[in-house]
Amino acid sequence: MTGQVTRQATGESTTGESTTSESAGRVAGMAGPAASRPVGLDTGLRPRFRGRELLLLVIVGIAFTAGSVSLGAEQRLLAEQLAGQPERLVLVPADAGILVVYLAALLAAHLALVLSGRRTDQVLLPAVGLLAGIGLLLMQRLPQRLAGNLGGLAHTQLVWLLIGLAILTILAVAVRGDAWLRRYKYTWAAAGVGLLLLTFVFGRDVNGARLSLSIAGVSGQPSELLKVILVVFFAGYLSENRPLLVEESTRIGPIALPPVPYLAPMVAMLAMALGIVVIERDLGAAMLFFLVFLLLLYVATARVSYVVLGVVAFIVGGAILYALFATVQERIDVWLNPFADPNGTGFQIVQALHAFARGGILGTGLGAGLPTIAGRPPIPALHTDFPLAALGEELGLVGILAILGLYLVLIERGLRIAASAPDEFRALLAAGLSLVIGVQAFIIAAGNLKLIPLTGITLPFISYGGSSLIANSVIVGLLIALSDRGPEAKPPAPPGRISRLRRRLGGVP
Amino acid sequence: MDPTVLAIWVIRLLFLGILYLFLFFVVRALLRDLRSAAREPVRELGRLVVLASPSGEPPAGSAFRLDSVTTLGRDVNNSVVLEDDFVSATHAALTYRGRAWYVEDFGSTNGTFVNGHQVTGLVAIAFGDELQLGEIRLRLDRPRE
Repeated sequence: MTGQVTRQATGESTTGESTTSESAGRVAGMAGPAASRPVGLDTGLRPRFRGRELLLLVIVGIAFTAGSVSLGAEQRLLAEQLAGQPERLVLVPADAGILVVYLAALLAAHLALVLSGRRTDQVLLPAVGLLAGIGLLLMQRLPQRLAGNLGGLAHTQLVWLLIGLAILTILAVAVRGDAWLRRYKYTWAAAGVGLLLLTFVFGRDVNGARLSLSIAGVSGQPSELLKVILVVFFAGYLSENRPLLVEESTRIGPIALPPVPYLAPMVAMLAMALGIVVIERDLGAAMLFFLVFLLLLYVATARVSYVVLGVVAFIVGGAILYALFATVQERIDVWLNPFADPNGTGFQIVQALHAFARGGILGTGLGAGLPTIAGRPPIPALHTDFPLAALGEELGLVGILAILGLYLVLIERGLRIAASAPDEFRALLAAGLSLVIGVQAFIIAAGNLKLIPLTGITLPFISYGGSSLIANSVIVGLLIALSDRGPEAKPPAPPGRISRLRRRLGGVP
Repeated sequence: MDPTVLAIWVIRLLFLGILYLFLFFVVRALLRDLRSAAREPVRELGRLVVLASPSGEPPAGSAFRLDSVTTLGRDVNNSVVLEDDFVSATHAALTYRGRAWYVEDFGSTNGTFVNGHQVTGLVAIAFGDELQLGEIRLRLDRPRE
């Protein structure tokens, strides 16, 4: 079956390559010389070679193999040193099974996109593949009994990654229209809030935060899925009411404020989500929702007054939360001075700062950092909340900058897709989806680095955790589907009486 | 230096190097996209897509680039000529003012409709909104790059 698929794809590439590479840069405008292609609007499923994606995926494959070999050699060396054996150089990957399965899954996703024949983005899949690959290397390197019930941390993460890649591919191939998202935005919003309420009532407490919901033995974090739903709702509402939000305003004396009545549904939705999330002590998600809300409002209206109001609301809200909740107080105090209680509340952050310092510029190398103390890594929640600290130690400043660069690539691609989207809803949806990933990466990366107070939230595609991987895969799958530039430019209509006349008069079409 | 340690050190740096190789290729691809977009300067402020047109002129599926003032009607002097028996000679105009598009009806016989509501005076419209003039249905789309 696979052989057949490959042959089909490569067979098409000889004819498909020239047209793709030429038209890749050119936009399918109506003025384009499109007569060279045969007439066929309903091309259906026609494989289209994706050269750029293939090249990038090959680099991802080489990088993942090199990282895996680096980790394997280091682990073997350490084991031999520990056992007092003579040190031999054995260059084998840490876990050949994971290596092969993961790269095969990426290739399968690529082939599915080739077969679907859509003119979609070719950078997102490799960028996500590399980020998730780095995460997978980290999971192989950590003590396997830290979490997971499928034979350890790395194997569980691999299974979730495969499910995530499958969802990403299905969405990227199958999502054509957006009516099912746009039209039912209030239904989606209600479902999201319902999900959170369920968590609130039936959820399980993890470290003082009620994050996790178990249904039929499968537990997950609903706030991860809620972030996707919120973006869909905001994009739907903003695209419908944009002219009102841009033009109207409520005046209080000389100050022109945003039109409060038209904002009410969004603010109500946001307040509901924030309220529940704050009561559940999921501060990272609360911050993420609020920042994405503000950014989308600015993207849609280009009004600075919204941003100013939002920042004021953020400061006031933060002060109220600080006064009301002990958790918030602790987080901010620890952020201001983690060394006040280095073995208690400040333990995580102090350990993370030491990890970054040990890493230096080039890092200690994969597998060489973080000596585990009594079989546990020194930083609690290393695999979910502090992967950046672990990577900062083992890959150094250079590696961290590369990872941040990959997130920037995701944001850039998302905003490009938004800029070239055919209508408002798709533009806002693409911008919101990519900003969710960007803001989330920023919140947790800055938290790890003690730039902002630490809030428990996952690092997209790198952290351990099924909900996070699946929610982010949904986001990237939707982004790829949104980037569809449609079939090739249509051939010009056969000249009728009117258009002949118009051409003689020298008018525009 | 111990050859084993040296080899591991080389592989480590190789891994970091390949990460940057990947970023290099991605950035090259991004720059190429930006350049090809810049080579075709966008002059249009929006597009008008013909959704349905019983008379076949303009044909359904065709699209018009819009200038800041676009007049619609049956007369050949309009910027978008709509060959439809129910469209007036000078029917309506689309204007781009500041940050939003507006539609204005010029007292046409059969009226102009935005998403099913009849236009009176100057009405703001958003990208994705549907216009109906006579039997012709149009949609305002964002400008393509």
